Amino acid sequence: MTRDGRIGLKFCGGCNPEIDRKVLAEAIQMRLPQPFRLTTEEGDEPWETALLLCGCPTACADRPEIRGAARRWILISGKRVDDEDVSQEKMVERVMTKMEALLRQDR
Amino acid sequence: MGLKTAEAYEASLRKMRFNLYLLGEKVENPVDHPIIRPSLNSVKMTYALAHDPAHQDLMTAVSHLTGQRINRFCHLHQSTDDLVKKVKMLRLLGQQTGSCFQRCVGMDAINAVDSVTFEMDRALGTEYHARFLRFLRKVQEEDWTIDGAMTDPKGDRSLPPSRQADPDLYVRVVGKNAQGIVVRGAKAHQTGALNSHWVLVMPTMAMRKEDADYALSFAAPADAPGILYVYGRQSCDTRKLEGTEIDLGNARFGGHEALMIFEDLFVPWENVFMCGEYEYSGLLVERFAGYHRQSYGGCKTGVGDVLIGAAALAAEFNGVAQASHIKDKLIEMIHLNETLYACGIACSAEGHRTASGTYLIHLLLANVCKQNVTRFPYEIARLAEDIAGGLMVTLASEKDLRHPEVGRLLEKYLKGAAAVSVEDRCRILRLVENLTLGTAAVGYRTESMHGAGSPQAQRIMIARQGNLEHKKQLAAAIAGIKR
Repeated sequence: MTRDGRIGLKFCGGCNPEIDRKVLAEAIQMRLPQPFRLTTEEGDEPWETALLLCGCPTACADRPEIRGAARRWILISGKRVDDEDVSQEKMVERVMTKMEALLRQDR
Repeated sequence: MGLKTAEAYEASLRKMRFNLYLLGEKVENPVDHPIIRPSLNSVKMTYALAHDPAHQDLMTAVSHLTGQRINRFCHLHQSTDDLVKKVKMLRLLGQQTGSCFQRCVGMDAINAVDSVTFEMDRALGTEYHARFLRFLRKVQEEDWTIDGAMTDPKGDRSLPPSRQADPDLYVRVVGKNAQGIVVRGAKAHQTGALNSHWVLVMPTMAMRKEDADYALSFAAPADAPGILYVYGRQSCDTRKLEGTEIDLGNARFGGHEALMIFEDLFVPWENVFMCGEYEYSGLLVERFAGYHRQSYGGCKTGVGDVLIGAAALAAEFNGVAQASHIKDKLIEMIHLNETLYACGIACSAEGHRTASGTYLIHLLLANVCKQNVTRFPYEIARLAEDIAGGLMVTLASEKDLRHPEVGRLLEKYLKGAAAVSVEDRCRILRLVENLTLGTAAVGYRTESMHGAGSPQAQRIMIARQGNLEHKKQLAAAIAGIKR
């Protein structure tokens, strides 16, 4: 169960992004149903679900120590979601589809 | 088997029956042909070093398919570490052979075909990826050398394949039945084709619907009935027929290219990996070219190391090693060479996983790497010629050097630094000649220009991948412009 609706959010460092990561995070936040919300604040326990938002396909933040911060991840790496190319216009839709599927598992 | 020995590799080639023409004659035994043999020795080195504990970390990998240790040339990259090690392996082999060792093209082909067939199957419901993996298992088990075949003759470049006056100027399917397909056409510039066990054919460019017959990828034994080869000439190649050694510059190693012609070649379906899926031909070209542009950041650097070393020795043998301008030229050569290497490493370290699990290089950086390769080896070669001096191209032959009468005079008048023999001075000058305008210049110069795509091909990719919009946003923000 995703406790108290928190969905983790981790950004890469943002050196040379192909996408506007903050705009994308805000757009996803807007689409999340109540009570879910994105948060960058880590607690003592790993997040159930989290979004790893990297600006380019290299996804340099996709490292074991980062992956340990959540039980399951959706990886955005430039114009790709979980290793699949996605056009910028469809990015939010694709992430939401994956997010809803994960959240459904918790019900 | 897993890891073939160098001797077993040579023995396996002796069993093959290539349909090959060279200098107007059919060649029955390419393995022992003096013009071809040095190129075989270079590929053989990829097998020999895999058994050397001092090089095993680079030369081998553990197959993700079988868990067996295999030659890295048969491996699908499973991490950015694999991509980095590939570049280091290619540099090592360039250093050990001073030539093109030909095997990278097959490695780049298997990696590209893997990820593209996976994505093609996922989108179109085809079944190519499983077929390809069955083929790859065999490649790994038998430690085959694969010729990755991409470049078609292309005829009139202003016309697409289906509108050429001769439809065979691009490789195409001319027949299909329940057992397989029939293929006609040709692949140009096929590096190492006669030292390969199998060919892995890919389309030459992005295709449109009307060119679907040309969207084709398949594997075939390199000596299959229906494949004919015409061996490509290299500058100074017939020196190998003179029975001398010094004049060759690099007597043991070399590279080769050939025109590969498919005369209604039959390919069973199990070896067909794309047949009409024109939407994916461009992606396959892009990925293969990307991997191959990465390759040049390794192999050309290794050959560059040899050329820089040769120039430094030539300077010593000429007695000018301490001249400040010579030192500065050597520094410039090293700077250029290491810049190429840095690009090869960078595009590898910045690679990423594809949907099949195979890792792909950073495409922008790989194209930047190759764009530099179209330039820097030429400057390195120019500086090497500068340091070597004019004797490199006016030097008497080895037969004159060994002649009882004129040899004595050459010993007197070709003397350089006192501690260096005339023969050694000749050897190093011939090596510089070999690399800058002899047989190895095919690999070090013109292949640097056109191999893995001509300069404009990289510029197109750089334009596509360069993310100029982001740079404009950065500038606008700094300048206080609201957009």
